[in-house]
Amino acid sequence: MGASVQNSIPRRDPALVMRLSRLGSMHQCRLSFMRVLTRRLANENWSFARPVFDVDAKGVGHAVYTATGPSRTYSLVAFAHDLPPEERSDRVIATAWDATFTLFDGVPTADDIERLSHNVPYQEAGRVNEKSLSVSRANRSVRLWEHMVDALAKGDQPDVDKVVSVGYLMRTTAVYGSGKLGAADHETIADRPEFDAPFQAEMLSVFLTRAFVRDMINHMARARGGAQAAELALDIAHGLGIGNSTGLGMAPFLINHPVLLNNWVAAREEAIARVRSLNTAQEAEANLFRSLFARAQVLVETWRSEHPVQIKKLVALKADLEKVEAFLGGDDLTANSPWDRLLNWTSAALSEEGQELIASLILEPYGELVDDLSPAMSDHRPDAFRILGTMSVKSTRNLMRAGYAQALETDWSAQENCARAWYVSEEKLEPRLGERFEEPIAEYEQPLSPGRDVALAFADLKTWDDDAPVSEFLLNHPEHRHSIRRVQINACAPYSEIQDNTICADMMPIDMLRYKLATFGATHFDPRSDRWLRICMFGNAPYPEELTPENADLWVYPDAEGNS
Amino acid sequence: MSYALNEVEALAKRAVRGAGMSWGTAEEAAKATRWLCRNGIDGAGVLSALLDHNQGKAEQDLRPAETSGTWCAVDAAQLCALLAGAALSDGALKLKDASITMQRLSFPALLLPFMASAAAQLNCVLVLECDAGSASTDGNLLALSNDALLQATSVDVVIRIGDLTGNILSQVSRAKPAPEAWGTLNTYAHKTYAPATEASRLAGAGAGLSDND
Repeated sequence: MGASVQNSIPRRDPALVMRLSRLGSMHQCRLSFMRVLTRRLANENWSFARPVFDVDAKGVGHAVYTATGPSRTYSLVAFAHDLPPEERSDRVIATAWDATFTLFDGVPTADDIERLSHNVPYQEAGRVNEKSLSVSRANRSVRLWEHMVDALAKGDQPDVDKVVSVGYLMRTTAVYGSGKLGAADHETIADRPEFDAPFQAEMLSVFLTRAFVRDMINHMARARGGAQAAELALDIAHGLGIGNSTGLGMAPFLINHPVLLNNWVAAREEAIARVRSLNTAQEAEANLFRSLFARAQVLVETWRSEHPVQIKKLVALKADLEKVEAFLGGDDLTANSPWDRLLNWTSAALSEEGQELIASLILEPYGELVDDLSPAMSDHRPDAFRILGTMSVKSTRNLMRAGYAQALETDWSAQENCARAWYVSEEKLEPRLGERFEEPIAEYEQPLSPGRDVALAFADLKTWDDDAPVSEFLLNHPEHRHSIRRVQINACAPYSEIQDNTICADMMPIDMLRYKLATFGATHFDPRSDRWLRICMFGNAPYPEELTPENADLWVYPDAEGNS
Repeated sequence: MSYALNEVEALAKRAVRGAGMSWGTAEEAAKATRWLCRNGIDGAGVLSALLDHNQGKAEQDLRPAETSGTWCAVDAAQLCALLAGAALSDGALKLKDASITMQRLSFPALLLPFMASAAAQLNCVLVLECDAGSASTDGNLLALSNDALLQATSVDVVIRIGDLTGNILSQVSRAKPAPEAWGTLNTYAHKTYAPATEASRLAGAGAGLSDND
């Protein structure tokens, strides 16, 4: 992390932050990747165009959306398909979609489009090259799409309640970047300022996809209704985000990228510490917080879920927000370290959902103090992979005790503590979670239980001399190499490990997915089981051509009427 | 066909694990293969040949028996470049005091990325010499005296601090592996995938409420 301000309040303890239940209660904040993107696009005055929209009355064809910044243009190439309903699935194992996309580096030629048209629609079964920065696909929300086309074709606007209850017209089911399917490696674009923060190409692709989806619904309504068709009203269009179905694939990502995970959490924790360290707040800052708190309440009101766990969490969150409202009634938040006082109060009074929502919210008045942290969320330390062989066995053990206390105390011989195993399925290489003692999967287990593996290494280290270099241990025990690497990374990246059991019987993978998606900037988390969930991206955001520095940042919070 | 270096790394990791080596070794092999490809060498080709060569042998039989004196595998068997390489990177500091000799090292090309890791740690140039030729690296660039080293399958090598000499290879951003080698790596990688059953198809990825609404 870059030059850090001297904070009087330290960052929160990794042992508190890195528990699954808390990671699974995270909310978007100023540093979320969608907001970093829209701020940059607006501040640098990016321009947007739709040079191609060649879609027929059945909704089949392609379109190109361009985004031009200070030194480069990127193009979303969208392919629209006429998908039979029986083929529509959000699962990774699907082979056809309502729409497919690639974010192209530059402006594609006719030859490029021709080549892409033979590959992008097939997703994993196709290939792209280094001119593609992402590959993605989306399916319609059947319940909302048909209602909307029907209403607009008749000259009416869609039912707002229906729109709010779904929140999007299409949901992406995968957005692949960084070398997947032949696309450009992240390292080949990492030196471009617009990709300083993580996942900016993927976020740009989704931001442009939202404009394509709005154009498609208007196009389909015109195709059906002709001259009598109405254009989708702007305020309704604003309420629509892009949905996303996310499955287990994201969970291994967090464990397989410990430095990235650390940098994401550390940036937000540093931002929180900076704001908590302020002795006083200006009245304008306190007022902005109050008004955004009220808008966050509206956001929570429109958050629906059918999953029992999330329903319970939402009830608690709504009760939390009422408590906060009462607290704010008795405190003007300007004196005596107001933000630290507020957070100290939340940690005793609120559920983790409520605590983390407020922790994100106190950052809002302080863009100048915290926004510079977003580039530090990328992984600038490829050398962290390298093992320091001269480290002594004693130091290694001490690092294990300090960073893996929870794992070292776990009884790994108890079946319930290792009931699950992560594996990759033969078909479409889909990551899955199975029951170790009920299915023949143990021999295919992926190394996604760092806690257990470090505990095993710790046990084998017991007979070694304190002073022996860890390189000697590794020479004899190559099976512990991945664990020793993680322990050493954790020593300088304290938020790199989930400090919980990732293979126990009652583990909820959606906690990991929720954390990653909140860091992207998603809202409206709606678990559909313990291992996949739906979310909304860019809901309430301005459309590309409307983007200004004034509306580029706080769009995520709807106003009292539910508008951005 | 050209591949992203991430694709090379991901496949190499799975292949090495599929060939029976440990996850930590697989991670090292993946980074090493990527490093070779970035320096214009078909890392996938070398790795697939090494995995074929290692077949049936355990890591304990392929690793350096010890790392003091001359490095060799137990019972004078061939030394695996991945395991010797990982140990070389771990013990890079030893090169400050003396050169390191390895006997019967298989596929020395795969040792070069680990030599680069050691060079980066020591902030110097390291040179590998053997009958097939020499290679030198400052941790980033790679220079070769000739291509024969890349094809060598079993040699005695000496590694020492030295100078960057020979033909410096141009770095590239894409890999162009030989199709057979890519196929071989996929075959090994396949061994890490669990055969799908209808039960796992539903439960494993978490069937729940309908995803078509």
